[in-house]
Amino acid sequence: MARIIVITSGKGGVGKTTSSASFATGLAMRGHKTCVIDFDVGLRNLDLIMGCERRVVYDLINVVSGEANLRQALIKDKHCDNLFILPASQTRDKDALTEEGVERVLNELIHMDFEFIICDSPAGIEHGAIMALTFADEAIIVTNPEVSSVRDSDRILGIIQAKSRRALNGDEPVKEHLLVTRYSPKRVEAGEMLSYQDVQEILRIPLIGIIPESEEVLSASNQGNPAIHLKDSPVSLAYVDVVGRFLGEDLPLRFTDYERPGFLKRIFGAK
Amino acid sequence: MQQKPIEIKISTVVAIAVILHDAQLPVLETALQQLTASSGDYYSEECAVIDVSHINCADMDWAVLIRLFKTYGFHPVAIRNAPESSEEQISALGLSIDLGSKAAQIADIETIPAPAPAPAPVVIQAAAPAPMIIDTPVRGGQRIYARGTDLIITAVVNSGAEIIADGNIHVYAPLRGRALAGASGNTAARIFTMSLEAELVSIAGIYRTFENGYPKLTPNVPVQIKLDGDKIEVVSIQSHT
Repeated sequence: MARIIVITSGKGGVGKTTSSASFATGLAMRGHKTCVIDFDVGLRNLDLIMGCERRVVYDLINVVSGEANLRQALIKDKHCDNLFILPASQTRDKDALTEEGVERVLNELIHMDFEFIICDSPAGIEHGAIMALTFADEAIIVTNPEVSSVRDSDRILGIIQAKSRRALNGDEPVKEHLLVTRYSPKRVEAGEMLSYQDVQEILRIPLIGIIPESEEVLSASNQGNPAIHLKDSPVSLAYVDVVGRFLGEDLPLRFTDYERPGFLKRIFGAK
Repeated sequence: MQQKPIEIKISTVVAIAVILHDAQLPVLETALQQLTASSGDYYSEECAVIDVSHINCADMDWAVLIRLFKTYGFHPVAIRNAPESSEEQISALGLSIDLGSKAAQIADIETIPAPAPAPAPVVIQAAAPAPMIIDTPVRGGQRIYARGTDLIITAVVNSGAEIIADGNIHVYAPLRGRALAGASGNTAARIFTMSLEAELVSIAGIYRTFENGYPKLTPNVPVQIKLDGDKIEVVSIQSHT
């Protein structure tokens, strides 16, 4: 049975699209047929991060409004055969995203035997964000370890509780996962950043992973390469762990402790 | 086993107590109008016990009094603390004489002022409905109102959330949002929480914010917030032996 997973946060710039791209890629690399949908109508970022912006012909809005069929709009990922991207429209108004239209697209994807459908939500709590979470079975709440991001995540969790189809139908509630991104153990230790325990203490949902802060993410994004492909980097390994935990594996947290540079490292410098 | 045709059991019936502080029927009628104007069917046929211990019933026309309350949706079933001289007349109208509660107990019951701004001659003590219980975190932007009852929350109440109750509020986790107890004027309502981190607390409309930090409390001890005159009092709950 297909699972629909929304990646959302409330606040912008916390790493939703980066996480959507890497999470979807990770699931596909594990052999699951996966589709990732960009709900950020009007801004369109996912195709850039996935490196397929030059192959966009039709988009989500075209499919929702019946101007193109789903097969025409789906873009096959350049690395994984199991991964497809449904880009957002840059030119259209976000009100074109109707609930009936989104539901029809999701049902069609389910009929195409997709196992996982990842909905990359726009920031905020407006229409696009609501549409992204309405049909979700599970939600990954992307949160940076700082107060305003945590507060916005709390708000979006409340909206999921109130507005998701599962909540409105009184079904089993949307399964919530906390993903802490841009985590810097050094700054946590210095007291400049909330620890992941602090974040969890406020949000009180299960932790699915911690992605360390890394400069590599920006350059990977700029090159249209999801961060999970950065071989052996902490960010990539952390995303691989997230995918593993999502698929039910019990993996210990990594990259959460600050290691003071050793004597030699301090003299000769890191790297 | 054969079912008995009649089974007798002791049972508690929920009724509202209507405590009268004025014997003049026109005054009572005005007060009833004010009470029910906002929601006409609020007292839809609820069983009512009319308490007359605070008024002089020497000249009371019981039939008119009962008809008056029926007009406003009450279903009077008994008169509480009626003078002996009136008992026969009340029984003849089909109502019981309630002797269960003595006047001394009645005096202890906290009175809830009617919503009307003028001093209200009729005070209504509704039998409290079951408390509202919430087991999931209350998130920023969410608002919960326990109408006419207590609110019990077994999970965290986060910043930006608003929890309101006409009765008491219990939060068995950190309280970080706004909590408003006694929202319809009950000054005896209290707020209890395992950890006070609230943005604002209010009891019967009197509120307090914590811009300059929280009062010194015993760490890791539950906190209660109550009204002391017109001031909000925040104290640790200490068990005194």
